[in-house]
Amino acid sequence: MSYYLQLLLNGVIAGAVYALFAVGLTLVYGVFRFINFAHAELISWGAYLALMFSSPPVSLPLYLAVIPAIVLTAVIGLSQDWFIYRPLRRGSPITLLIASIGLSYMLRNVLRLIWGSDLMTFSLPPARAFEFSGYYVTGIQLLMLASALLFLMILYLLLTKSLIGKSLRATADNLELAAIMGVSMPKVSAVVWTLASVFAAAGGILLALDTNLEPMMGGANLIKAFAAVLLGGAGNVWGALLGGLFIGIAENLSVAFFSPGYKDFVSFAVIFLLLLFRPRGIFGLLTGVR
Amino acid sequence: MAVHGVSLEIGDTGVTGLVGPNGSGKSTLFHLITGFYRLDQGDIFFGRHSIGRLSPHVISRLGLIRSFQHTRPLPFMTVLDNLIAAAPGQTGELIWPLFLKPARVRREENDLREKARGILRLLDLLPLADELAGRLSYGQQKLMELGRILMAGPRLILLDEPTAGINPTLIRRLVDVIHRLCEQGIQIFLIEHNMPLVAKLCQHVFVMDSGELIFSGTPKQAREEPRVIEAYLGRENHAA
Amino acid sequence: MDYLLHVMILALIYSVFAMSLNLELGYAGLYNFGHVAFFGIGAYVSALLSQAGVPVSAAMLCALAAAGIAGAVLAVPALRVSGDYFGIATLVFAEMFRLICLNERWLTKGPMGLPGIPRPAWIAPGVDGMPAYLLFTFLAAVGTFVFIRRLTGSPFGRALRVIREDEHMAQAFGKNILLFKVKAIVAGSVLAGWAGTLWAHYISYISPADFTLTETMLVLLCVVLGGRGTNWGPVVGAIAVVFFGEAVRFLPIPQALTRYVAPLQGIIYGGILVVIMMKMPNGLIPEYRRKNT
Repeated sequence: MSYYLQLLLNGVIAGAVYALFAVGLTLVYGVFRFINFAHAELISWGAYLALMFSSPPVSLPLYLAVIPAIVLTAVIGLSQDWFIYRPLRRGSPITLLIASIGLSYMLRNVLRLIWGSDLMTFSLPPARAFEFSGYYVTGIQLLMLASALLFLMILYLLLTKSLIGKSLRATADNLELAAIMGVSMPKVSAVVWTLASVFAAAGGILLALDTNLEPMMGGANLIKAFAAVLLGGAGNVWGALLGGLFIGIAENLSVAFFSPGYKDFVSFAVIFLLLLFRPRGIFGLLTGVR
Repeated sequence: MAVHGVSLEIGDTGVTGLVGPNGSGKSTLFHLITGFYRLDQGDIFFGRHSIGRLSPHVISRLGLIRSFQHTRPLPFMTVLDNLIAAAPGQTGELIWPLFLKPARVRREENDLREKARGILRLLDLLPLADELAGRLSYGQQKLMELGRILMAGPRLILLDEPTAGINPTLIRRLVDVIHRLCEQGIQIFLIEHNMPLVAKLCQHVFVMDSGELIFSGTPKQAREEPRVIEAYLGRENHAA
Repeated sequence: MDYLLHVMILALIYSVFAMSLNLELGYAGLYNFGHVAFFGIGAYVSALLSQAGVPVSAAMLCALAAAGIAGAVLAVPALRVSGDYFGIATLVFAEMFRLICLNERWLTKGPMGLPGIPRPAWIAPGVDGMPAYLLFTFLAAVGTFVFIRRLTGSPFGRALRVIREDEHMAQAFGKNILLFKVKAIVAGSVLAGWAGTLWAHYISYISPADFTLTETMLVLLCVVLGGRGTNWGPVVGAIAVVFFGEAVRFLPIPQALTRYVAPLQGIIYGGILVVIMMKMPNGLIPEYRRKNT
């Protein structure tokens, strides 16, 4: 029993990170109606930039290095939109999709160009594990959970209390109507991309803290993020959150039954089954909130 | 616009009209009849076939063919090719026969080409046969659309606002063609806003308002029916 | 000289692969981002069978059948959704295939891959066999081209285009769009499997790492660059991509910088995709619809 609970715990922590990825992806989909493959690179770049700022010559301590890393990732995200997606917005969604595939490949290779393809890690003292009546959690994992919660809480406040948050939700509901009603599209656009980038970067850094950095790290997680997005109903932020948690838990629990090599299969199966039977998602209906 | 509790029957009369203010559900009814929208309740019969649960392409094969409100030609194909493409049940559309029975495919193509030319002649569009469909005027495209429907050998044609946006000369030609089709035994069910045209063409007319059927009778009777007048006037007041 | 033969063989194989994707993407308008799975199925089935002693020609035929069946298996559920969701569903399918190949070591030897795949009986192994293999792939590519041209120039191809342009109109004309799409996918999958077998028996060593999203992106680039919806487009695109990919080796690059070559190429590939989408969505050879479709 305790074995399963440990897996569940791992799952919740992994799920928190997936939730961060999914929330950004679904925000973009909700407003712009296309799946940004380059979201994977926002995740990777967030982590690698943190590595860059915490290494010589800048050598900031990691908790400070994340700030410029996240800011620069937001710049990348905003540039994606400004230079490429915005001009293509009138085209078909497939054009956007293919462009995002190309952009993703480009950004990934810039990463490879600068840092190479080998695994890297943040140089930190080895993780200390805390024990709570038989269950192990490392300090890093606690940090991940806490950070994820913090970010999601900020998101909640932003979306429900602030004016810009309300504009965002209005735009997600109806792009044209929102524009007519005076919601500023460039402003909403900027907010969406900033949020998506910030969350992706944060998630990427947390992921790198727990595991390591490599150029495919974003890509490997993009499909999981997308599974979470689908679970929650595309465009539904809270659904994506629940979806991320579900994927994390399901993945980690699956290790008890299947070979660990098939861990990724969980998200594949989720996507396939959902697209077949419930493209509108499951958790979206539960939360009821858009 | 939801359609609610509509029950109507098109008899053997040649041309039947479907009229009503904007948003009354006329196009929706067409979508339901032709299988593009799913029925929640009830059924539709075409001859003796129950078609309420069938896919659009199956319904089309049975001889019930529709036009669309906004005409969509295949712009980079010629007018002739546009018509040929519309013919159903072509052997050349199946893969094995394409390679195993090439002579038959070729023969069918030629037959279809002849048939298409015949229809274009009927529509007075033959001079435009080799023109790219995208270059035609809107009215000519609408006529071409009718030509495509005819390629399929329909028994009942549903026309969705066929005269909207076309000039009087072409309207006259369209009316001409419709008369000739009726002579050949093809029935027509059309949505129209052009009232004088409806009065001239249709033997019978149905009036819809807000998703419901409010009247069934001759055009003359419809003009005098108070509920019909109210439906139109009410809308006009709001529109004005 | 040997190297030139190598590049030409690769270009021809990729032409077949690109033509197969173009049938689905360019003509039927189906954005199949999992196409590499059928390339892989063709490769693995043919490799495994021929290593088990089956004559290569028979193994290839079985591989084609396997790819076709797999195509049908994917098509029926995946076609329930459309547009970008279809793209994701197919992409996920390809990743599922790759994961299975990685994990089922008893069958595929997992990440180690399958070495020592034999050549067809009438072609010598290794470098000696290259000229003969070139002839083989050339004939295969020509055959594929002729097949596709017949298919796309036929009423079937015309119907596919109608479906691509306007599904509702196609249905109103009595075309069973689901059946057409399934056929297009199966045909495309068989041809992708064909390309896969050609490749497996040439390169004689395959592993799951050969069938990743990168390969999907590359073949997509071939089709999009060359011009979708035309017959020569994917061929031109494949030749361009393969030659560019390999030609770099001829440049005198100092040893210290060689590690930068692959990422730079990757940046260019991705950049070309983006630029094409923004400036020339129709690719190098625009789809010029002639009078005699």
